[in-house]
Amino acid sequence: MLDVILLFREALLGALVIALGCSVLGVYVVLRRIVFVGAALAQLSSAGIALAIFLEALGVGWGWVTGHVVLAFLVTLAGVVFFALHGARYRVPPDAGLGMAYVVAGAAGVLLIAQAAGADVHDLFLQGNILGITRADALLLLMVVGTVLAVHALLYKEFLFVSFDPDMARTLGYRVTGWNLLLYLTLAIVIAVAMQSAGVLLVFNFLVLPAVTGLLLGRGMAGVFGWAIASGLLAAAAGFALSIPLDLPTGPAIVAVSGILALLAWLARLAWPALR
Amino acid sequence: MRSGAEGGRPLIAFEDVTLGYYGVAVLSGLSFSIREGDFLGMVGPNGAGKTTILRAVLGALRPLAGRVTVHDEWVRFGYVPQRQSLDAGWPLKTLDVVGMGAYDRVGVFRRPGAPVREAALQALDHVGIRELADQPFGSLSGGQKQRALIARALVGRPTMLVLDEPTDGMDLVSSTSILELVRELHDRDRLTVLMVSHQLNEVANYVRQLALVLEGAFQIGETEEILTSENLSALYGIPVQVDQVNGQRMVLPREVPELGGPADKAIAAVGSAGRPDAATRSRGDAEALSAGMGPPPPGVGPASKDAPARSSGTGPGPGTARGEGDRA
Repeated sequence: MLDVILLFREALLGALVIALGCSVLGVYVVLRRIVFVGAALAQLSSAGIALAIFLEALGVGWGWVTGHVVLAFLVTLAGVVFFALHGARYRVPPDAGLGMAYVVAGAAGVLLIAQAAGADVHDLFLQGNILGITRADALLLLMVVGTVLAVHALLYKEFLFVSFDPDMARTLGYRVTGWNLLLYLTLAIVIAVAMQSAGVLLVFNFLVLPAVTGLLLGRGMAGVFGWAIASGLLAAAAGFALSIPLDLPTGPAIVAVSGILALLAWLARLAWPALR
Repeated sequence: MRSGAEGGRPLIAFEDVTLGYYGVAVLSGLSFSIREGDFLGMVGPNGAGKTTILRAVLGALRPLAGRVTVHDEWVRFGYVPQRQSLDAGWPLKTLDVVGMGAYDRVGVFRRPGAPVREAALQALDHVGIRELADQPFGSLSGGQKQRALIARALVGRPTMLVLDEPTDGMDLVSSTSILELVRELHDRDRLTVLMVSHQLNEVANYVRQLALVLEGAFQIGETEEILTSENLSALYGIPVQVDQVNGQRMVLPREVPELGGPADKAIAAVGSAGRPDAATRSRGDAEALSAGMGPPPPGVGPASKDAPARSSGTGPGPGTARGEGDRA
């Protein structure tokens, strides 16, 4: 089995990098209670990819500008700006805006793909195509996620403060809207590159479940990040390894392992009161 | 405009200020100043606009009209938010939360190091909960959380403490303990204090100056000038009595206001502790008290949303301004 897995080592590396990046950002997503921002951004990113495929089918293209990653990023960025700046002035509750973005982006993706390639491609959007990750894809993922994580390591104090207590941060002179935009921007970048191969389901999974596992097991922010990263990487590796001999779709297999790990973490918390 | 404490430098001045959100005015005609050494309580029912004024004081809300002057050279805020506004689910130690009060001195890209940790420990010591430094912030009781948040404000070495509903939802013992701590910080450390609350009876015996923020009305002055039966009756539009019980002021409404009416909303600022029990609720009592009251002081009338914006003149009496907006 190891030989078979090694055949897909670039794909495994890509899955691990996506798991790492999303697990770290997922801690903010879950603690800031913006889980559905993650879902909506993933869906918007898929609509961006669909738009790129549609433009390719039409023969319209301006080089890298209409590339999959770039369009996915631009559409996701538009969502980031809207969600970060959205206020009560529009008389629409933020979660309604998220629901609207999610469903419209999802439908737009299906419609664009139906016109361009065929309905079967939509399944790839939902489930992703982890096994299709090439060496170049893996290197791009590594570079982008590495840069984003370095930014997060350097600006940990700022992201933590504006996320936990924006009012206090504002009082101390922090430009909270700017820091929020930057945080969301890093989220958009990771989602846009991850969506190229992971699909909505898997990206959303990595943004939520590892962080939940981390919160159930970890003490302090370092502990939560540590457990989130460990569970995300374990889910990616185990789901990947199990899907090949069992002939299962890789994305859902990874999601299933993530779910089992979260369940085990919850049971551990029940069993050992010291974790509470 | 109120002159504030004698000899204190002006820290903040509101000049005919209109506050609101997205162009819609919530409060207007606000003219007052906060001076060094003041111990100001801002009291009003939920939604009257207290937090809106507080946000303007802190610079988080720009006025729609008028001018708010903050003398940055003399004032450094120590902000204590409502503890319920902080999510208890964050896995942060109390020491980590307290240390945040010094983040602006650390600099971007830098991690808070030993000096911040030491300052946070000293602040926790100052408010009497040093032993809770390593406890998860979310696991603290309401009173302990409030002390931790006051410690966080102190870490920044403020000249002015700004507290938003510091005793909301606390029992008698905890709220008294917190108010005593705030008074101690004012007296011992000579901190200027602005404290927002919706419980008039709770803060009336601590603060030296009082601002009443009602739906459509704003009044500010020395506590003994504001807390008179004549003034409060005129302001609330129903008979109100100010009693002394064992040296403590008690504000008691002497008439049951019409449910949902303006007086009912305004009287919420007095707090449930001041409401008369069922046995005292009689029209006869209210009429007798009304008959015995003098005319309201000039410049003060029942709260009305339709009243024109107006600010008081300078002088020893309490200043008054009226708002035109609905609520924050």
